[in-house]
Amino acid sequence: MRGVLGVGLLLAMLIASAAFAEEPPSLAADVASGKLPPLAQRLPKTPCVVDIAWPGWATGRYGGELRMLMAKDRDIRMMVVYGYARLVGYDEHLHLKPDILQSLDNDGNRIFTLHLRPGHKWSDGQPFTADDFRYYWEDVANNKDLSPFGLPRALLVDNRRPKFEVLDATTVRYSWDEPNPQFLSALAAPSPLFIYRPAHYLKQFHARYVGLEKANARAVAAGSRNWAGLYQKVDEQFRNDNPDLPTLEPWINTTPLPTTRFVLVRNPYFHRVDRMGRQLPYIDRVIVGITDDKLIPARTGAGNVDLQTRYLRFDNYTFLKQAESRNHYRVYLWEKALGSQVALYPNLNVDDPVWRTLMRDVRFRRALSLGIDRHEINEVVYFGLGQESANTVLPRSPLFRPQFRTAWSAFDPKRANALLDAIGLTKRDENGIRLLPDGRPMELIIDTAGESSEETDVLELIRDTWRQLGIAMFARPSQREVFRKRVFSGKSMMSVFYGLSNGVPTPEMSPAELAPTTQEQLEWPMWGQYYEQNRRGGEKPTLPDVEELVQLYQEWRRSTSDDERERVWLRMLTIHADQVYTIGTVTHALQPVVVSDDLRNVPSDGIYSWDPGAYFGMYHVDAFWFDSEGR
Amino acid sequence: MLQYIGKRLLMMIPTLFAISLIVFTIIQLPPGNYLESYIAELEAQGESVDQQKVAFLREYYGLDKPLPEQYVRWVGGMLHGDFGYSFEFNMPVTKVIGDRMLLTIIVSFATILFTWAIAFPIGIYSATHQYSWGDYGLSLLGFLGIAIPNFMLALVMMYVANVLFGTTIGGLMDPQYIGQPWTWAKIKSVLEHSWIPVIVIGASGTAGMIRRLRANLLDELQKQYVVTARAKGLPPRKVLRKYPLRMALNFFISDIGSLLPHIISGAEITAIVLSLPTTGPMLLNALKSQDMYLAGTFLMFLAALIVIGVLISDLALVALDPRIRLSGGVAR
Amino acid sequence: MSTLELPRKASEGDHFVSTEPFDPGSAMRLTPEQERFYLASQWKLMWWKFLRHRVAVVSGVILLLMYGSTVVTEFLAPYNLHSRHTDFIYASPQRVHLFHDGHFIGPFVYAQTKRLDMTNLRRIYTPDRSEPRRLRFFCAGDPYRFWGLVDMSFHFVCPAQNGTLFLLGTDRLGRDMLSRILYGARISLTIGLIGIALSFTLGLVIGGIAGYYGGWVDMTVQRLIEIIRSFPELPLWMALSAVLPVTWSPILIYFGITAILALLDWTGLARAVRSKLLALREEDYTTAARLMGAKPARIIGRHLLPGFMSHLIASATLSIPGMILGETALSFLGIGLRPPITSWGVLLNDAQNINVVALYPWLMLPVVPVIVVILAFNFFGDGLRDAADPYR
Repeated sequence: MRGVLGVGLLLAMLIASAAFAEEPPSLAADVASGKLPPLAQRLPKTPCVVDIAWPGWATGRYGGELRMLMAKDRDIRMMVVYGYARLVGYDEHLHLKPDILQSLDNDGNRIFTLHLRPGHKWSDGQPFTADDFRYYWEDVANNKDLSPFGLPRALLVDNRRPKFEVLDATTVRYSWDEPNPQFLSALAAPSPLFIYRPAHYLKQFHARYVGLEKANARAVAAGSRNWAGLYQKVDEQFRNDNPDLPTLEPWINTTPLPTTRFVLVRNPYFHRVDRMGRQLPYIDRVIVGITDDKLIPARTGAGNVDLQTRYLRFDNYTFLKQAESRNHYRVYLWEKALGSQVALYPNLNVDDPVWRTLMRDVRFRRALSLGIDRHEINEVVYFGLGQESANTVLPRSPLFRPQFRTAWSAFDPKRANALLDAIGLTKRDENGIRLLPDGRPMELIIDTAGESSEETDVLELIRDTWRQLGIAMFARPSQREVFRKRVFSGKSMMSVFYGLSNGVPTPEMSPAELAPTTQEQLEWPMWGQYYEQNRRGGEKPTLPDVEELVQLYQEWRRSTSDDERERVWLRMLTIHADQVYTIGTVTHALQPVVVSDDLRNVPSDGIYSWDPGAYFGMYHVDAFWFDSEGR
Repeated sequence: MLQYIGKRLLMMIPTLFAISLIVFTIIQLPPGNYLESYIAELEAQGESVDQQKVAFLREYYGLDKPLPEQYVRWVGGMLHGDFGYSFEFNMPVTKVIGDRMLLTIIVSFATILFTWAIAFPIGIYSATHQYSWGDYGLSLLGFLGIAIPNFMLALVMMYVANVLFGTTIGGLMDPQYIGQPWTWAKIKSVLEHSWIPVIVIGASGTAGMIRRLRANLLDELQKQYVVTARAKGLPPRKVLRKYPLRMALNFFISDIGSLLPHIISGAEITAIVLSLPTTGPMLLNALKSQDMYLAGTFLMFLAALIVIGVLISDLALVALDPRIRLSGGVAR
Repeated sequence: MSTLELPRKASEGDHFVSTEPFDPGSAMRLTPEQERFYLASQWKLMWWKFLRHRVAVVSGVILLLMYGSTVVTEFLAPYNLHSRHTDFIYASPQRVHLFHDGHFIGPFVYAQTKRLDMTNLRRIYTPDRSEPRRLRFFCAGDPYRFWGLVDMSFHFVCPAQNGTLFLLGTDRLGRDMLSRILYGARISLTIGLIGIALSFTLGLVIGGIAGYYGGWVDMTVQRLIEIIRSFPELPLWMALSAVLPVTWSPILIYFGITAILALLDWTGLARAVRSKLLALREEDYTTAARLMGAKPARIIGRHLLPGFMSHLIASATLSIPGMILGETALSFLGIGLRPPITSWGVLLNDAQNINVVALYPWLMLPVVPVIVVILAFNFFGDGLRDAADPYR
């Protein structure tokens, strides 16, 4: 996307210094005995250089064991997220850079030519070449048994397939007729689109290469129904539970399921180096312990971990801080990159006609938003450290404008009451609750997915202030699947969830969240479904501003210049700020990050974001190092 | 006798069948299925799901088939020894349960031994020194054991042990021994961790046993034959041991059968709170995430154990108590 | 050996039957206590025997007080169930003093000053010893709806004007723990009672029918009981609670949980009833009643059951603690009752994490009434059981 980086000089230096670079001590024995080839043969000819230029960052030393805790053994997939070895990835400034790829040619977002690094090898030493891409395309994505439902969505533009070509041993090309702006972000996602596979390993499970009978026999012997079942079990690059599957990540999982303790060892063929030419990662082993999620804050506070953030909550901060010096760690507070910690989603496609009219009336939504005391929420739930705001982008994003944050987000019950009166909801019952036009009392039921005490607390506070507007609010917890179904089917009039999942977008990132694009959107599931299923399901939007959002999104997809994209984004954000389709409460919530005292290169002030960022991914866990010998 | 056993075994079959129906219904009653819970859970954390994979899995596991067909598949599988596949762990159910079984049995046996070892002498003392201060005091302790909810006790003891002794919180051993072969250090670590669950789980069991032993023993001690024995000059300890104690132990025997499922399922709530790698937390998670085969098979397993346990208890009683044999019925 | 006089033969016609009215008191003299004793009904005897068991009596009084408090909870609690105080989040318990600076000024608490510790992100409350705030009694405080019907605001004790009264501290939204525990008693205690009532009825009816009719009715019921008893208790509770649709109103869920607890509990009672009936129906008085044309329902209800009703009551009482613990455990795990219903189990669910144990331990206080109630019921039940057979 950004073309070839100007790393040429460094590369030249590196190639020279690679010859003199030291081996990681933990591999030295294997190299000496001949089990592993020497460093120069393990790295690609032009490895990826990791050189982050911010204060406090330093090249490190080898050694050490990183301990982390997770709550389910499924969570081992988080190591693929944290390791963040991707074809292209976001760097710490949220720019897309080639990572596994040596370079990427992007012609109008339609034709992507991917250049691999010559000499790049899988974790078992076999070459990583264009054949791995070809294998995926021909034998997985287009194989009727393995992909009965067709290609992944990110590879389709208006339901049309790309053209895939192998140009040479290290170059492949994907081309579409129309621009496919989601392709690169899908490749850089924390849970990415894998368009390559370790073909040399997987061929033994594939019917086309060993014959149908042999493949089926092997599957049945392993306990699966047919060869496709066994194949799907072993070919799980993201799930990371097959210790035999070769990987490109910095650490290899060596522990099969079931277990409560995963041991990951360094990948000797990892493609990144530091600026001195030394192969990353610095840390030799990662230990992921599995324990009950309620116990993780306690164990973190007892000093059982070196790096921990998942399953730590803001309200654990006090406890963690108190045990800091005793247990040799420090607690940082990173900014969560959500548009709003807790956001309300009026369902514009609700079944009930009276409520539907109200939800679609912008004055109603504005009144609801004005009736929330965000300051109180901030004080009570976030200790005053949050930022009261509408559900919009964060100041870190280049697209932020102050008026987005303040739009309709003051606490002004008088004005809110005036708006509700203006709509015509002037009659009230004996309890002071306003009456709907058909005489029913205004009982607003908010569905929640039920498990977050943060949501419950915020709703409790909102309920009291909305009482002043004459609205009686009830929170109805559901199980998660039921919750979604209720929203899709129109039975839910309002739901609560977190706000914008990407609160730090740049103009190149997709504004899909801001327009109806999928039925997963809680504020307009039917309109989203309409576009998701290519106008064959759902309903066509009827509000003019929403139609404008749809058009703007299409414009973004076809746009070719950054200026154009920025203009589109700003216009979409303005519409959202004005129309209050979703009601935000507090943003800039803080996430505790516990870092052991001798672990270096962990930023003290980072962004905690799933996409983009992959939590720790963009901060390069492979470049974290321990500043003491003999751990 | 053999006829009696045969008849009971035959009657077990429709019972187990009915239990399987009920278990299946209960597991399927919550809306949705495993995949939907899984997707919803991922979405709640902001991750998206590969829809292709999900669709494939749904078809592969037969989750889109009608319920009666899923039931038949499950029961049919069980009769063949195929106990199904756990979605959550991605492996056969037998492997999941089997892995946790050893530790569960260890903890349970330790608890039972602890319970009996403590309840026995205390119960006897209480009965023979009725209404003394010792009796009241020990009874009070026993009652406290029943009254304190064991999950709160477990929680507090866990943190106290961490602060006082540095025991790692949760689990049955220090993390570095997980998956490692058994060494003295590992055994020591397991012992360090197991005293909490054993005491917590044992507390309520001990109390109940003390009370029952005391009550039964008191009943027996008031009977005529005890008076006769004393009057005839038998030393008191022998009086106690030879006759009434044996009668009072009746209920121990009848309880053996019901111990079986307790051994296997291992005090679920305490295990959940302490995050022990036993079968209790596994079951709760399976129920919550609708991991159908795992939950269903394990519940069936427990139910079958209970039925078998009842049979064993009855047989044991019949064997030990001639009155029951002769009167031709089971008096319980 | 004295010679006994044989009675003379009847034909010799020498009977003497006095026509004087007979005074039974002349044959045997009873002291007033003995008379009271022998003339007393069965229930009275039970009552007297029960009174001799001191601990049981004390427990009974405690239980009476606790259940009594659920009637007037709104009056007793200093605050409403949902009233929150944003300025007093995680406030520590305030102690009641009587003497300030050496003078007696009646019960009062010291006001708390709050300080925000921004390093540890903690709220620190220190009592301000210069400002005693006297408590008011029988005063007007938070408004409430008495039993959902009448708007009142009369409280037993309230804080001073502009003061606070957090005898057991506050939780994360600034809600008074004492009030919440009092309101929680309503739910936790009544679940036990309603559950027992349900299970008692079920046990009686089903056990009675099985015991009386015998035959295939008995066999079916036996199978049914066996099936239900074959389920491991806790997993079945868990499974059934997971089944309750979360979209039900809180009241329905409450009854749902009660029903679940009861449905698994009646088997013990049914078996006891059944075995007793099997024995008693061979008695002569049963045959007599049947021959006289009494319907089976009447025979069971009027003649058979009263014989061991006392045992049944005693064992029922001993099952209540199990139900209370069951509900507490389920809510603690998060699969029983949920907010906004408040029971002790729901309150304990909030107390499950390290923050509470390390920093705010007063949130664990709901466990104390649980312990007290269970102890009380156990002793009470013991006393009832001992008293149940006064003729022993």
